Parts: sequence; C-alpha cells; structure tokens
Amino acid sequence: MNTVLSFFRKLGPEMLRRTYEHTFLVFFAMAIAAAIALPLGIYLARTRRRRVVSAVLGAAGVIQTVPSLALISFIVLLFALVALPTIGTLPALVALVLYALLPILRNTYTGIRQVDPSVVEVATGMGMKPIQILFSVELPLSLPVIMAGVRISTVWTIGIATLCGLIGAGGLGDLILKGLRSIQMDYLVAGTVPAAVLAVTADWLLGRLERWLTPEGIRESHHSRVEGE
Amino acid sequence: MIRFDHVSKTYPGGVEAVRDLSLEVAEGETVVLLGTSGSGKTTTMKMVNRLIDMTTGRILIDGTDVKAQDPIGLRRRIGYAIQHIGLFPHMTIGQNIGVVPQLLQWPKEHIAERVDNLLAMVGLQPEEFRDRYPVQLSGGQRQRVGVARALAADPPIVLMDEPFGALDPITREELQNEFLALESEIRKTIIFVTHDVFEAAKMGDRIALLDAGRLQQLATPADLVESPANEFVDQFLGQHRFQLSLLTRRVRSVMPAAEVRLEKPAIGDRLRATDTLIEALDAFKKTAASALPVHDRTGYLGDLTKRHLLAAITEVLGEAGGAP
Repeated sequence: MNTVLSFFRKLGPEMLRRTYEHTFLVFFAMAIAAAIALPLGIYLARTRRRRVVSAVLGAAGVIQTVPSLALISFIVLLFALVALPTIGTLPALVALVLYALLPILRNTYTGIRQVDPSVVEVATGMGMKPIQILFSVELPLSLPVIMAGVRISTVWTIGIATLCGLIGAGGLGDLILKGLRSIQMDYLVAGTVPAAVLAVTADWLLGRLERWLTPEGIRESHHSRVEGE
Repeated sequence: MIRFDHVSKTYPGGVEAVRDLSLEVAEGETVVLLGTSGSGKTTTMKMVNRLIDMTTGRILIDGTDVKAQDPIGLRRRIGYAIQHIGLFPHMTIGQNIGVVPQLLQWPKEHIAERVDNLLAMVGLQPEEFRDRYPVQLSGGQRQRVGVARALAADPPIVLMDEPFGALDPITREELQNEFLALESEIRKTIIFVTHDVFEAAKMGDRIALLDAGRLQQLATPADLVESPANEFVDQFLGQHRFQLSLLTRRVRSVMPAAEVRLEKPAIGDRLRATDTLIEALDAFKKTAASALPVHDRTGYLGDLTKRHLLAAITEVLGEAGGAP
C-alpha cells in the first residue's frame, strides 16, 4: 500500500500532465488525419482514374511500411533542412498524421466501393443527386467500415505517439524515456500503463460511437432476424 | 406517350447495343422489351430515364425530348424498379418507399399517408411493415416494396427491369398476377424488360422482341405467336409455341358461334371472354361441369363446353407443329 501511495505521490502529477499531453497530441493528429483521409478516400472511391487511386493508396501504404522511429527521424532532418522547428509538437504531429492516414483512407475507399452497386443504381434512377447519394446512401452504408479504420488508426497512433518523447513533444513517451535513461522501473510503469489504458479506452469509446452512428438496418443483430415468406 | 425515334447507342469501344430503334409506347400501355442478354433491352430502357444517354436519335416523352430535360427532374417523374431491388438497407420500409416523395419535398403527413396506401396496395400490412428494415423481409416481400417504391410519387411512366427475375417461380407468378391486377387499376405507361418469353406474354400489351440491338418484331403477344415476322422470331419462340398459344389465345376466339344462348345461367363458375385458354383449362380442372358460361364486359356470351375447349387446344397443338 505504501509503495503505491509513494509512487503516486512521486509521479502522479507528472503522469496526469503527460497523459493530457499525449491525448492532446493524438487527438489533433487524428482530427487532421481524418480531415485529409475522409475527403480523399471519397474522391478515390468515385474517380474513374484508376492510376490516381493506385498511386495515392500506394504512397500511403509505403509511408506505413517505414519504421515509426525512422519516419520521425526523417521528418526532423527534413524540418532542419527547411529551417522549421525540429523539436516539439509540430514535427511530432506531422509524423503521427502521416501514420494515421492509411487505415482511414483505405477503409473509406473500400467502405464506399463495397456499397451494393444496385442500391446506387436505383438511387440514381430515382433522381437522387450525386451529393444526395453520397450523404444519404453511400456514407451511411460504409460507416461501419470507415469507423473501423478510424479505430485501428487511433490505437496505433496512441502507441506510436510514445516515440514523440524523443523529439521533445512531451506525452507519455517522455516518462518512458526517463525510465530508460535512469533505469527506474517506476517511470517506465508510469509511462506505459496510462498509454495502454488510453488505447483500450479509445478503442472502447470509438466502438460505442461506431455502434451509435451505424444505421439500425445494417447492424449485425438484424441479420439473424430474417423472416420467411 | 413515349416515342423512340431512330435511337442508337454505341458504347465506347464500338459495341452497338441498340441500332436504329423506333417504337411508340401509348399512354397506359405496357410494352415488354424481350430478348436474350446482349439484345439491348436494358440499354433501351435506361435511355428513357437517361441512366444511359443515346448516341443518335431521340426519345420523346409526351412530345418533349428527354435530352432537353434535367436528368434529375426527369428521373423523379419516372418510376424505376430493378431485379436486384436495391432497397436501401439502412432505411425502414416506409423510408424506402418515401424516397422520391421526400426528394420532391412532399409534406411529411402526405408522405406517411402515401406510404401506408402503397403498402396496402402491394399486399403488405402497413402497421406491420412500415418500420421494419429490408433484412427482415423475404425476397417476395422486398420485391413488393420495390414495386411500391417505384409507384410512390404516382409517376405516369414506370420502368421495370426484370422486376420479378430473382424470385422463385411460385412467388414470381403470385407477384405477376398481383401486379396485373394492380396495373389494371392504376393504368401506367410501362416499359417492362425481361428475357422470359412467358412473362412477356403475360405482362405485355405488346412485345418488342430485340436481338443484337435491333427490333425484330413489335406485336401483341398473340400476333407474335401466331405470325412471327421473321425466322429469328420463329426460332426464339421455338419449342414454347404451344404453351405460348395457350397463354395468348383468349376464350373469345374459340367460342363456337352456334352455342350462344341468351338466357342467363345460374350463378356459379364462369369464364371471362378475355381469359386465356390455360385459364379456361384450369377452371375446368376445378369443376365437374362439362360446360361453363362465358361472360364479357357486356354480359353473358354463351357456354363453352369442355369438349370444345379440348378440341381447340388440340388444334393449337397441331398448328404448333406437335402431333395432335
């Protein structure tokens, strides 16, 4: 009991502050990534230019394959070349956004593409405008897939954001690094456990949001309720 | 009235889907576009609501060229039902039927009322089905909703692309019959696409038989069967000729003049002069009587004996090339 109390007395305030920084960083990275990937995914799903589609999805895929540590390092070097700040929130945010893009982009694209073509055909045949088809047919029907992309992306980003401690962007990675440098287990624990809790909580919250946003008629539970003639 | 005026459609790559097609669909008439896949029947239909734009020629609806009209507005005035139904899975049955009225910004209460009327019209209890989702319905029920949705805004013209194609034979026949009954009340101008020659004979006032994008013959089902315009039509009907004759010949055409009598018979089983021979045969199956009274709209015409009906059928079989 005493050890727990002294642990929190020593590290509690910093844990809170770092968790706040971490959440802040991830939240903004996700918001920016979604703001880019959603419209881009919609465009890719609707364009007839197959080349653009494979080029963009390919590029996003390549970014994904670069090890996160290397990506952060590259951005720092790149920023140094163009005289942008190389430490702090900005380079961290850029790296995180690049990482978060692919799952959202790919799921938005596939989500819209997997909408039953006959549904879209009827919507067109009944006189819906393209924008109406997008917002009242395609997006509602692809929402579960898009949201799954957002969930995966968020959980990854929470993990990768710990690396941003390396470039002075704060967050829980800062505690982990401190623990590593001074070989102190309590710092490591103070950084790792909140990061894990954050990831699980975010996943759960987004799952709830997904269920809440998913139109009733396409929720899984309905499929078992098909009735005969 | 819909008029096709030398309409052709060539797809990029040079495939000529429709070649120089001219035909008219009169107000309230059902014209069936019949043909195999690749005959151009679906392309022909989709050019009416501009899902596909023709390469040359004109399509006039009540004298106005469809190309001169905004496609969105045009489509909202034309009912549309397809084989895959395409119900919106995330909308309730009521919302699905209400899509076009909603697009046309009808008042809410008006839409709700219309939805209930339509559900009742296609044989689905409004209270039971209004708030269900498509996944909770059977194939036949979904198809009924698809038809109701096409009729939602009371369009004068309805396009139907194999609307009963995905159903089992029994449900299909049930829906065909119900639709015929419904259609006789609402009198729409209908273009109906199918590859099923029996469905065509049953649903169409006239049949336009297409092959490789060309119109082979445009005729009533009976005329198509009795006097095929060319060898293709003859071969297309082929081995179905006998059954088709039974489906298209009316009781009136085999009524023996001599047996007309003027006193009214007792109420009981009766035939309509417009019944097909197959329907007459079915009626005799259900009764022990050796003759049934025949009526038309003006009244009693005479009796048709079972023996006479069978003789007429044997004659049809002989004409169709089978052994009598």
